[in-house]
Amino acid sequence: MIDHAPQKSERAAKPASKPIIQFSHATFAYPDRIALEDITLDLMEGEFVGVIGPNGSGKTTFLKGILGLILPVHGTLQIFDCACEALRCHHRARIGYLPQKKLVDPHYPITTWEVVMMGRYGAIGLFHRPSQKDREIVLESLQAVGMEPLRDAPFGSLSGGQQQRVLIARALAQRPEILLLDEPTTGIDATTQHHLIDLIRRLHQEYHLTILFVTHDINTISPFVDTLLLLNTRLYGKGTPREILTQETLSQVYGKEILLAEREKGPYVIMNDYHHAG
Amino acid sequence: MFEMFSYGFMQRALLASFLIGLVCSVIGVFVVLKGLSFIGAGTAHAAFAGVALAFLIGAPPLLMAVIFGLSTVWITGALQQAGKMKPDVSIGIFYTLTMALAILFLGLMKAYNPEVYGYLFGSILSVTSSDLKVILLLTLGILLTISLFFKEFHFISFDQEMAEASGIPARNLFFLLLNLISLSIVISLKAVGAILVFALLVIPAAAAEQWANNMRSMMIYSAVLGVFSSWAGVILSYWLDLPSGSTIVLIAAAIFFLSVLFSPKRRKKPPSKTPAPEVGGAAA
Repeated sequence: MIDHAPQKSERAAKPASKPIIQFSHATFAYPDRIALEDITLDLMEGEFVGVIGPNGSGKTTFLKGILGLILPVHGTLQIFDCACEALRCHHRARIGYLPQKKLVDPHYPITTWEVVMMGRYGAIGLFHRPSQKDREIVLESLQAVGMEPLRDAPFGSLSGGQQQRVLIARALAQRPEILLLDEPTTGIDATTQHHLIDLIRRLHQEYHLTILFVTHDINTISPFVDTLLLLNTRLYGKGTPREILTQETLSQVYGKEILLAEREKGPYVIMNDYHHAG
Repeated sequence: MFEMFSYGFMQRALLASFLIGLVCSVIGVFVVLKGLSFIGAGTAHAAFAGVALAFLIGAPPLLMAVIFGLSTVWITGALQQAGKMKPDVSIGIFYTLTMALAILFLGLMKAYNPEVYGYLFGSILSVTSSDLKVILLLTLGILLTISLFFKEFHFISFDQEMAEASGIPARNLFFLLLNLISLSIVISLKAVGAILVFALLVIPAAAAEQWANNMRSMMIYSAVLGVFSSWAGVILSYWLDLPSGSTIVLIAAAIFFLSVLFSPKRRKKPPSKTPAPEVGGAAA
């Protein structure tokens, strides 16, 4: 539907995808603490990755590192064959990012359309105005998330789930190769959560995106992802959900009693004080 | 009553108030949306300290105001980027520090100098034609820069982190925006005064926000309200022999309160009837 997305046949023709994000012994720190330590891993093009871990385990820092918003103090991080220190604006424009939900001033004078158009600003560049092509991309992105009928509505008047869909459309309007989602389903009712995850899965397939989905809610995403990363300052595990969601690995990180129930789509994790796990 | 328009000082006052009302209300949109009002207030007081020093040592007041105003912004920005200090703390310190300096400089002056107090309280009727040239030049420069970077300023006001993440040189542009705000304050200092200039930056834009649904309309409403309050303030203050700065701000404030009262956004309304399409059914 959006023309940069490879056709299915084309994708089938190149089964061996190459690494798009490569961490090598990378450590990220803030002035007062180390957020991520000695991370080494490769993520492949087109991979759907779930990033899990307790509160303060460095999940958001992980995404900010990939965006080049925070640089490693040790080690290296490569994105698109480019060291993150050298990441320029035009590289960032190839990464779509949905930050953790924050409160939006409901009176902020901006329409749905304008929010999505902002996704194009990086590509449009300074001193230029949006072209017909940019407007088409915005329209397609709005249609892809089903928000086109509310294109002229004030963004602040939308519900939480609708706002998330618009922000995903903004990320899509960048025509990204990588999509980073930071807790996209938090603060949204269960039905909307399911719709949102369906939407993200569909976008993953249609646009051949590499997706990193950060969440504290293991059970919501584990049935859908190719790979799970378990973070707690260090990388505690990378593998398929079945490999990662074991009593041994999880209790090591969460430090509490873990129960695993088997369900059709894989293990279901129950933590004894789940609500404090955040 | 129209003979006032034939006086040179009145013509200058009306032109100056037009330019100042315009530039402050336009840049004020970003000040309000990005929540920078405190930086505006801090800069205004720093600029006044510069003016006081200029009168003490016999330097050009506008130049000193520019130096003090911009350096406040630079130091605050540098401290914030270095992650050393939150901007509201550093501005809070600068605000009072520069005010203390201003009072010190005033105290060191041998004689009472009414012109300095003009910069504190505003005296738009004393704007000279060379003042006017500077105001005109800087207003044009500021408005041109805003129009060049309009979409980026819009983005960083809405969400700076997101702007940076999606490939906008957001930090540099934010810094540019702060400088433009600082310059707008400096050129308005003589006409409206250090204490009140900040109101002209915030009030028209805040009133406009009550009515606008998008950025463009907020800009236009704000500019209209800014120019209207400035003009009405100048004319009314001449008629009734009132201080011009305070008349301008009181008119703007009255418009703001009316806007809040009658704002369509603040009316209690039932939840939107437009049904949101379900995501599942939206697959194209």
